[in-house]
Amino acid sequence: MDNKVVLEVKNLVKQFGNFTAIDDISFEVKEGEILGFLGPNGAGKSTTTYCILGLIIPEGGQIKIFGKDVLKKRSEIMKEVNYASAEYNLPWNLSIWENLLVYARLYEVKDAKKRITELLEIFEMSHLKDKAIRDLSTGLRARAILCKALLNKPRLLLLDEPMASMDPDVVDKGIKLLKNIQKEEGITILYTSHNMWEIEEVANNVIFINHGKIIAQGTPLELTQKVLKHEGEEANLRDVFIHLSRGGA
Amino acid sequence: MYLFIYQEGEHDVILGRSPVSKYGVNSATTPESRFWTRSKNSLARMTEGSMNFNRISAIILRHYFLTLHQMERFFDVLIAPILVLIMWGFLSKYVQDIQSQTLAAFLLGGMILWVVFEKVSTDIGVHFMFDIWDRNIINVLASPITFAEYLAALISVSFIRILLSLASMGIMAAVFYNFQITVLGFGLALLWVNLFIFALSFGILNISLVLRYGHSIGPLTWILPFFVQPFAAVFYPLSILPPIFQKIAFVLPIAHVFEGMRFTFQTNQFDFTNFWWALGLNAVYLSASFAFFAYTLRSALRSGRLVKLI
Repeated sequence: MDNKVVLEVKNLVKQFGNFTAIDDISFEVKEGEILGFLGPNGAGKSTTTYCILGLIIPEGGQIKIFGKDVLKKRSEIMKEVNYASAEYNLPWNLSIWENLLVYARLYEVKDAKKRITELLEIFEMSHLKDKAIRDLSTGLRARAILCKALLNKPRLLLLDEPMASMDPDVVDKGIKLLKNIQKEEGITILYTSHNMWEIEEVANNVIFINHGKIIAQGTPLELTQKVLKHEGEEANLRDVFIHLSRGGA
Repeated sequence: MYLFIYQEGEHDVILGRSPVSKYGVNSATTPESRFWTRSKNSLARMTEGSMNFNRISAIILRHYFLTLHQMERFFDVLIAPILVLIMWGFLSKYVQDIQSQTLAAFLLGGMILWVVFEKVSTDIGVHFMFDIWDRNIINVLASPITFAEYLAALISVSFIRILLSLASMGIMAAVFYNFQITVLGFGLALLWVNLFIFALSFGILNISLVLRYGHSIGPLTWILPFFVQPFAAVFYPLSILPPIFQKIAFVLPIAHVFEGMRFTFQTNQFDFTNFWWALGLNAVYLSASFAFFAYTLRSALRSGRLVKLI
């Protein structure tokens, strides 16, 4: 079945002075797909994500979400998009409930209280709703941020290392919860991470980017077979990552 | 040499180096014309044609929650202005005993109105800084909110806070020092409007400077209003300033506001000349601050500084 294209990045170029952060990259993400976005530090992953969010203006190329140009219709598009990164917090002094209420209003969520209650149940945080963000553990904070990211039932979710610096148990729980809700609500996800296991668990397809260029793409298994040149039946993105990061073809 | 940039829809397209005119630079791409063109385009981008009051109210709601949770914010709105009022109240009482009632009114009225300017001009920048310090700014800006809506929300929060401060100071001054700021009548509202607009220009300038130079410049937010104070003639008439200071004061709307306040206390009449001067100057300052904000925002979006604020 031919799924609709949710995100279309075409010939994207971003330069910071003489440094080319993104060098003419193009890719698509189809409805319901989870695309893993991989690359070493400084490869251009976060810059691409910020361009998609309209927080960095590129020098060239075009980004379309739901067929609309991000730079022209940003506000309209972002109602159906959401974003989460472990790098950013929710205000520490507000409770989880208050934070989610504020973001529900920002995203104009209808029946906000019902949606918040539903998400807190899914993420097993109902009993913590009145706790301030500062009083939560790192893992619980990540779950609160994921609740924020799912508030508006986004059609496209941009996750930029959402589980960074979390222990494997927290990552495992987070991934399972995310996969369940993704399946249930049919969310399209662009997932950036350095944790290869995480990507193998969630992604249908993977793009590998280095020095601002796409250097490999395919399913995790295809990439493993192509890059490592063996016929194994299990994806091994960790070795693929090391191979490609060190300049291998 | 300048890169020649034209707009295709909302996109800037770099064509290459500009043709050079006989003056050495293409007149269409002088720094000044680029500043205004980019400011205008950025303003259009900031608003995307309309404002959404739901999103503005979301930011106001957040500040309401924050004020409930953080006592220092409550302190800032009500307690700090009252403490300042108490000090100036005693000073005015002393002056009233040895000098005149008018001088006491000048001091107390000057102080109450100065707080309007100082608080509004710092509040806008500080609230922006709080979003940066909370590492929350990207989450907010990644939402559908436009920059114009975000700015409108910060201005609204400052507006509500200063109304509370002004009311509490007015009541305290009336109860403890028998000083009625309301004797200024409707003129008080007009003076207040001019002060608020000038303070807004300062607040927007603060945010622009943070966008341009990063959050390390944040402390300037607290200091900037005091650069103006000597020329604002808050507690003394303009005539006592040296001629060069008087010239500087003349182009500051705030100096006209305080001259107008003293005129009203002395004559019981509203000083329309100073009011119109202040309003006219405010129109210039506010337009310039919006244009500068739009320009720095666009530059921050292009250079990636916006996402590196944290």
